[in-house]
Amino acid sequence: MSATPSRRRFLYAVGKTASFFGLASAPLFAAEGNASSRKHKWGMVIDLDRCTGCQGCAVACRAENNVPVAGPTNTEKGRSIFWMNLLTTSEGEYPGLRQQFIPTPCNHCEDPPCIKACPVGATTQSEEGITQQIPERCIGCRLCEVSCPYTRRYFNWSEAEWPDSLREQLNPDVAVRPHGVIEKCLFCHHRIRAAKDRVRAEGRALTDADVRRLPACAQSCPAEAIVFGDLNDPNSEVSREAESPRAFRLLEDVGTRPKVFYLREAKWQE
Amino acid sequence: MAGVAEATPAASTYDEAALLSHLPLEGKGFWLSVLLLATGASALFYGFLQQVLYGHAVTGQGSHGAIWGIIVANIVNFIGVSHVGIAISAVVRLLRLQKYQQLARLAEFITLAAITTAVMNIGMDVGRPERFILNTLWYGRYHAPFVWSCTVITTYVVGSSVYLYLAMRRDLWLCEAKVPSRRWLYRMMALGYRDTPASRARHNRIVWWLAVVILPIMVSVHSVYGYIFGLQAGRPGWYNPFQAPYFVLGAIVSGFATVIMALAVLRKAFHWEKFFPIAIFKGLGIFLGFVTLLYMYFLFSEYLTGTYASPEAERVVFRDVLFGRFRVITWGAMLGGMLFPFALLFVQGVNRRICSIPLTVTAALFINIGLWTARTLVVVPTFYHPLLHWEVAPYVPSFSEWCIVIGSFFFFALLLLVLVKVFPVLEFPEVHESGQEAHGQRMPFWKMLSIGGSAVAGIALIATGVANRTQPEFFHPPVIWLSGIVMLLSVPFQICVLPERPLRRLVRTRLAAPRLVFSRRARAANYLVSAPQVVKAPVMRLPVLGARKR
Repeated sequence: MSATPSRRRFLYAVGKTASFFGLASAPLFAAEGNASSRKHKWGMVIDLDRCTGCQGCAVACRAENNVPVAGPTNTEKGRSIFWMNLLTTSEGEYPGLRQQFIPTPCNHCEDPPCIKACPVGATTQSEEGITQQIPERCIGCRLCEVSCPYTRRYFNWSEAEWPDSLREQLNPDVAVRPHGVIEKCLFCHHRIRAAKDRVRAEGRALTDADVRRLPACAQSCPAEAIVFGDLNDPNSEVSREAESPRAFRLLEDVGTRPKVFYLREAKWQE
Repeated sequence: MAGVAEATPAASTYDEAALLSHLPLEGKGFWLSVLLLATGASALFYGFLQQVLYGHAVTGQGSHGAIWGIIVANIVNFIGVSHVGIAISAVVRLLRLQKYQQLARLAEFITLAAITTAVMNIGMDVGRPERFILNTLWYGRYHAPFVWSCTVITTYVVGSSVYLYLAMRRDLWLCEAKVPSRRWLYRMMALGYRDTPASRARHNRIVWWLAVVILPIMVSVHSVYGYIFGLQAGRPGWYNPFQAPYFVLGAIVSGFATVIMALAVLRKAFHWEKFFPIAIFKGLGIFLGFVTLLYMYFLFSEYLTGTYASPEAERVVFRDVLFGRFRVITWGAMLGGMLFPFALLFVQGVNRRICSIPLTVTAALFINIGLWTARTLVVVPTFYHPLLHWEVAPYVPSFSEWCIVIGSFFFFALLLLVLVKVFPVLEFPEVHESGQEAHGQRMPFWKMLSIGGSAVAGIALIATGVANRTQPEFFHPPVIWLSGIVMLLSVPFQICVLPERPLRRLVRTRLAAPRLVFSRRARAANYLVSAPQVVKAPVMRLPVLGARKR
């Protein structure tokens, strides 16, 4: 006690004690990791050679998921919301014009940039591989929208509105989103949940036939171009089609590994 | 022309009444400028109100359009301006640039005003302002650049407030004696300061170390803003490892330009010619010219890489910026906002006879406009060229967006005016202690315990937050590590502010006189022995606030 304690020793002691307490708490609560075996991994295959560009999928999606009506001004400003939209590309001039329609739901990437960018965990990946969105958590910073290479996320620029005639057919299974938050395609997860409940009541497991046409877009496609299913099940139609030599994914060089596959005879140029 | 002769005025030549002449709230000019700035600042709130009432549809943005617009450019601009205050102050202190000593605190005020404006702008840009701070703190994800920005901004605000306060504490205590009408305020703010040689030495040492710590934090704040853009692989034009240094440099450029403009206005308004000789403007101008040149070099490098042989997606964006729909704005900003002011500053810098404040301020103004435009050109053009060929609605900033942007500048100026009017901007001359005095005293045990405890708690909290970052729903790591950072930054504050007395005596004092320790009456004269030139100043002849009214 005769001398004042040296500053360096004091600082060392402070550092050691503090780091001990902090780091010691970590292993107790270490992340569970991704080791837990995933039961399903939902994916989609869209056959572009079958697609006629009728936009039935986009309309069905709006009706199913209570997507608000934007009105002419907002549409002009690029503010209308499409969980499922048709990307149209044209090649050539009038007589030799070729058009390609690409139905684009959210790609539900395996490595989604939107989840990395979201500051509040409003968008996360579910155990079954769905990139989900929690509107109540979202702060509306639009970083996910900015980071999505496919522009498959939509901001609610104003309060949701419907004409009276459409109000009557709002879907009670899907909540309406308030203004100022992001919304996106969820692979009709409410339908997946309903299907699971149904098969559990019937005392059997979910089969490929139960889910092939499960999402509203797949169900409504008259050309049957859209197939939904479990990519973890090697015998499902999506697994087999995803292995097809015709299969490709959008912007594969970005490295997001989408779970939506497209089929087309010729190599598609983006 | 006292200016040049007194380029490095000796401490004793300062007239102390002049040091405080900016404090009284009087004069037609002052009230007129308050009225003007308040009117302008109300535009900010008008724009925000529009967004709250009608949603973000009142802006020109859109999902298939510009997802971010000029408000984001404005945020980047104000975050940038906020940098330089502390940078100037820290550099002045670390390199002992006596000539710029009096600039330090003004620059720090600019920091505080600008960062407040920037954070308000963030709140006005997000869709749900009511939950943005709360959710970011409570549910923050460690992998999101937004959370990094929240962390570094909080660190920066708290750190620079502690720094500003400790550097200003002695002057607040002096004002307690010299500005009777605001004695209550300054007494409260001085927190029982005692002007002993040991105390001065302690403050100087702690503030010096804070300056060392704050400089890297300052760099980190704007780097994080670079990362918000530079890490987006899906955005051609943004995805670039160069973004962070590029943003830091841009911050230095626009910050210096703003400091020059603010200094020129305040110097004129408060007749500070004696404290800020023209030579200071020349020096600042040379530095501003240098960093502007560096910025142009960065821009050139970026545009060359973007147009030469990069991936098609990048090239389309940069072609559009340079030769497409943005060409008028781009070349206008580059020639009018960078090259022209650089030429002005260069001519002034190399010619010994030219030393003009209007010229420097004009250059600074053009640079500020140019840099603001450059920020817009970073944010907006990429949205015209998404990787998938969606049809894109053209972006025209709406009235409410312009209201927010222009209102921000008025709001910033108003905040700065309030700070300048409330606190002493100019530093009182100080007898520099050798630094040995502080070593002589031994800290009382309770104080050491408090400081050590805060340091342990701070580091432990940061470690806990970082170690449990993968459990955000259970642990809320950002709150934990931010409380740790605040705890740690309270250490220098405690070292300076906690009294150097054993706890026994502290308690006895309180019992004997049932008043708070910090609110004891000022017995300034007891401590003034060590600053003779302060004692010389007749207290009653100093500007007394509100005296004219009575």
